[in-house]
Amino acid sequence: MPVDRRKAAVFGGALALRLLLLLLFPSLPDLLTGRVEVSTPVTSFKRLQEGLFLYNRNASPYDGGVFHQAPLLLPIFSLLPNAQEYPFPTALFYSLVDLLNASALVTISDSAQAVSGRLYSSVRKQIKWDGVVVAAWFLFNPFTIATCLGRSTAVFTTTGILYALSAAVQGQNLNSMLALGFASYLSIYPALLFIPLVLLCYDRRAQRSNITPSTALFVVKHFAVFLLSIAGLLGISLLIIGDLFALISATYGFQLLVPDLTPNIGLWWYFFIEIFDSFRDFFLGVFWLHLTAYAGSLTVRLRRQPLFVVTSLLGIFAVFKPYPSISDASLYFALLPLYRHIFPLMRYTFFSVSALLYASLLGPAFYHLWIYAGSGNANFFYAITLVWSLGLSLVIADTIFAALRDEWEQENPDQRGRPVKQV
Amino acid sequence: MSANHEDSESSQTAMTSKPSASSLPPPEKPNAIQTRFGVVAAFWAVILFLGFPIWWKTTSIYRAELPIQEMLDWAGGKSCRPVFPLEIRFDTPSLPDLEAQQLLRITQHTLDDLNEFSAHHLRLKLADEEAQQATEKADTALTVRLLAQDDLSSPRSLLDADTTTLDVFYPPSQIPPPSSSISPLSSYIAGELQRLFAEEKAIMAHILSNNAMGANVNTPQSPNSQAQQQISPQLAESITRRLRRSMKYAETYHLAFSLFTPGSAPSSWDIESAVQAYISPLVQVLSPISNFTIDTQVQLYASFSPTTPPPEYDETQQVWTLKEENLSAFINAAEWPLNPSIGSGPTINFILYVPAPSQSPLLVNEGKATSWIIPQWGGVFILNPPSIPTSESTKGNPPHLPANALTPAFLTFSHQLLSLLGTPQTPTSLPLRLQTLIRIRAATLLLSASSTMGSLARLTESLPSIPIPATVASSVSATLSHLSSACDSLRQGRFMAALASARVAETEAERSFFEKSMVGQMYFPDEHKVAVYLPLLGPIGVPLVLGLVKEIRRVVVGWKARRG
Repeated sequence: MPVDRRKAAVFGGALALRLLLLLLFPSLPDLLTGRVEVSTPVTSFKRLQEGLFLYNRNASPYDGGVFHQAPLLLPIFSLLPNAQEYPFPTALFYSLVDLLNASALVTISDSAQAVSGRLYSSVRKQIKWDGVVVAAWFLFNPFTIATCLGRSTAVFTTTGILYALSAAVQGQNLNSMLALGFASYLSIYPALLFIPLVLLCYDRRAQRSNITPSTALFVVKHFAVFLLSIAGLLGISLLIIGDLFALISATYGFQLLVPDLTPNIGLWWYFFIEIFDSFRDFFLGVFWLHLTAYAGSLTVRLRRQPLFVVTSLLGIFAVFKPYPSISDASLYFALLPLYRHIFPLMRYTFFSVSALLYASLLGPAFYHLWIYAGSGNANFFYAITLVWSLGLSLVIADTIFAALRDEWEQENPDQRGRPVKQV
Repeated sequence: MSANHEDSESSQTAMTSKPSASSLPPPEKPNAIQTRFGVVAAFWAVILFLGFPIWWKTTSIYRAELPIQEMLDWAGGKSCRPVFPLEIRFDTPSLPDLEAQQLLRITQHTLDDLNEFSAHHLRLKLADEEAQQATEKADTALTVRLLAQDDLSSPRSLLDADTTTLDVFYPPSQIPPPSSSISPLSSYIAGELQRLFAEEKAIMAHILSNNAMGANVNTPQSPNSQAQQQISPQLAESITRRLRRSMKYAETYHLAFSLFTPGSAPSSWDIESAVQAYISPLVQVLSPISNFTIDTQVQLYASFSPTTPPPEYDETQQVWTLKEENLSAFINAAEWPLNPSIGSGPTINFILYVPAPSQSPLLVNEGKATSWIIPQWGGVFILNPPSIPTSESTKGNPPHLPANALTPAFLTFSHQLLSLLGTPQTPTSLPLRLQTLIRIRAATLLLSASSTMGSLARLTESLPSIPIPATVASSVSATLSHLSSACDSLRQGRFMAALASARVAETEAERSFFEKSMVGQMYFPDEHKVAVYLPLLGPIGVPLVLGLVKEIRRVVVGWKARRG
C-alpha cells in the first residue's frame, strides 16, 4: 500500500507543531489548562489530576467534589507518568489522540457520505475537499490545538463521536454503536446523536445489501447494542469505584443538574446564577429539553442527510450544552469542511466568521478584565459569550439553510441559481 | 437560541410556499407538507410528553396539610383556658379532723370571695386528705402549718425563707365553732395567703391581658379590668418595669462573669469557688426553666471610653462618685471584649469592676450604691478592695481577690440574675418565688407558642404560594400536642410538667415558623412569574405556537375541502 505522502505530511506536521509548541513554550499547557474556555468542570485536566491522586491512594476519586469525569479515564491516566514532572508523554498521548481523530475524519470524508447518501445526492457533489484537506482543517484549527495542549478530556468524547461516524459510514454498525456508547459514557449528551446515527447506519446497510431491513427492528436492535455498551462500560467502572450511586451522582448527576456555575463560554452559568432558586429545577428542565428537542425535529426535516443532522446537532450542542468549551466548537468545525459544496449557498459567512473571531479574541481579554484586573464585571464576559454563541448559531442556521436550499435545487433543477426571498 | 429554529422554519417556508411574486415557484409537494408536519409534531411531542411533566413536577409547590383551624383556635384562646389552681396544704397537727375541715371550708370561702381573678386561684387541702388521693398529684405551692400558741391574742404568721412553709400561730380560742360561717382566724389566713400571692397574681393578670388568648379567656367570666382593678397602679407600674427589664425567654442563657480593672491588679480572683458557692445552686434550681452555661474572664488595663464623663471626687465624703445619669456610658462597649453571644442564646454579662487605687473608693452618686442592673443585658458591681501599700507613697490594688472579697459581689450578682430572669420580688421565700417563676414562664411560653401557631396559620393562609415542607407539619403537630398537654398539666396544677411541655412546644413552634425553605418564597408574588417565564419561553414559544396553528389550519381546511 503506497504511503499517502500528503496525508503523512499533514499528520507529521500537526504532530511536530504540537510538540514544538510544547518545547518552545513549556508553560503553555498549564496556562491553557487553567483557561475557562478550554477546561470546564467536566473536562478539566486539573480536576482529573486531583481524581487521579485520590485514585492512586485508594480513596474514592469523587471524594472532595472536584472530579466529575468518567472513572475509566483513571486507570488509563495512571499508566502515564506524572504530567507535572514529565509533561512530554501526556502531550504526546493527546497529540496521538488528535491524529486518531483526524484519521477518522479522513475515513468519513473519503466515504463521500456528506455529498451523496442513499436517499440524497447533491447537485454540487463535484465541489468537495478530499480527506487530507478536511483533516488539515481539523488538525491546524487553533481551537483543536488549544484543546490538545490544554489536555481537556473532551477529546476522548470527540474520538468516540468521530469513530462512531466513521464506523457508520463504513457500514460497521456494531462498532458505531459501541463508539457512540463510549462517547455517551464519557459525557451524556452524545446519546442524543443516536437517532441520526442509527439512520445513517440504516442507510448504509440498505445501500449495500439492497434488501431494506425493517426500520423499527433495526433501530431497536441497535438501541439495545448502544445501551449494552453503556451498561458494560458502567459495569467496568463499578469495578473501579464500587459505589454506583456515588459514581452516577458525581458524574451524570453533576452534568445533568449543573451545580458548578464556574464561568464558561456557554449560556447556562450566568442564567443559573441569576435565576430564583425555586425556578432552578424548572429551567434546568427547559434548558435540557431545548437541547433535546432539536434531535428529533432536525432528523425529521433532514431525513435524507443523517450525517448533516449529526453535524448540525454537534454545532447546537457546542452552543447550548451546560459546560461547553472550544473543544466542542472544534468538533463542529472539524465536520463542517465535509460540506464544502454548500458553502457557496451560505449567506452570512462574513458576518458569522467575524463574530466568531471577534469573540475568540475579545473573550480572553474580557475575562482578564473581570477576574484579574477587576475593572470589568461578569457582564463583560457574558456579553462576549453571547456574541460567541450568536456567531456559532448563525453558522449553524446558515448551513442548515444552505443544505435545505441544496435539497430544493436538487428537487427543482429548473430553479437553480434563482434568488430566494425570505418571507 | 430560537434563531436556528426560526430560521429553519422560515427558510422552509421560503422554499415551500411562495418566495417571489414575479414567477410562482412550483407547488408544494405532498411529502414536503408531510415533513413540515413531522417537524412541528416532533417539537410538540417533546413539549407535551417531556416539557409539561417537568414543568408540573418542578414548579408545583409542596404544601403539607396543616391543622389551620386548630392552630387559630390556640392563638385565639379557644382551645385552652390557662388556669393556675395553686394547691395549698393545711397541716393541722393540733386540731381535730372535723374542726380542721370546718376551718378549711370557711377559709376557702373567704378566699373565693376575695379573689376576683378566676384564672388564678388557691385551692386548700388538708395534708392527710392529700395523702389519700395519691393519683394525679398536683405540685404543692405552699404548706400552711397551723400551730396553737397560748399566749397570743391574735394570730401571727411566719414565712420560712428557705422552704415553702407558712407557719401560722393562733390562740386556740379562735378556732371557729362548727356552725359558724366566719371566723377571725380564717379571715386572717385568707388575707395572708392573698397577700403572699398578690404579686404573682398581678404578673399573671398582666401577662394574660397583654395577649389575645388571655384576654379572650378573661372576658366572659371576670373581665380584665376587674382583675386589673384589684392591683394597685403602683404595683402594675413596677411589674411592667420589671418585665421590661428582664431578659426575653431563651432555651439557653450564657452567664459571663468578667473582672475589669484599669490597672494591672487584681489579676486573679477566686472565681471558681465564688461561682460554686453563689451561682451554681441558683443555676441548679433554675434548671427546669432554662439551661445555663458559665464563662469567666479577666481583663486588665480596661479603660473607660473617652466620651464617658470621669468620676468626680467628693471632698466632703472623700469618695469618688459616678453620676447616676452617666451609668449608661460606664460600659466601654467598643473596647471591652463582652461577647454579644456565645453560641446560640443570649448572654447575661456580670461585670466586676475594680477601680484604680487613685480613684478608690468609687461609688454611685445617689445612695452610695455600688451596683446596678443594665436592663436585658446584665449587671455591674464596683468592688473597692482594701488598698495595700506597695511602695512608700503609692497605693495599689491587691493582686488577688480571695473568695471572701468576692462575697458581696456575688450575692449581688445572684440577686441580679434572678431579677434579670423576671423572678418576682415578693414573697421573701426563695422557693416560693422560683415556683412563681415557673408558673410565669409556663404561662408566657404557652401564650407565645400559641400565638406563633396563629401567625403561622395566618401566614400560610395569606400566602398560598409558599411551600410547606413536611418538617413544618410535624413540628406543628408536636407543638399542638405539647400545648394541650401543657394546658392539661396547668389545669391539674402540675406546673413543672406544664413548663416542660411548654418549652418543647415553644421550641417546635419557633422551628416551624422560621423554617428556611419557606422564607425563600415569601417575597415572591405570583405576578413575578410572568417575568420569570416570558423572557425565555416567549421567544421560543411564539414560532412553536404559530407553527402549530398553521398546521391545524391546514388540516382543517383540507378536511373541509374534502367534505365540501
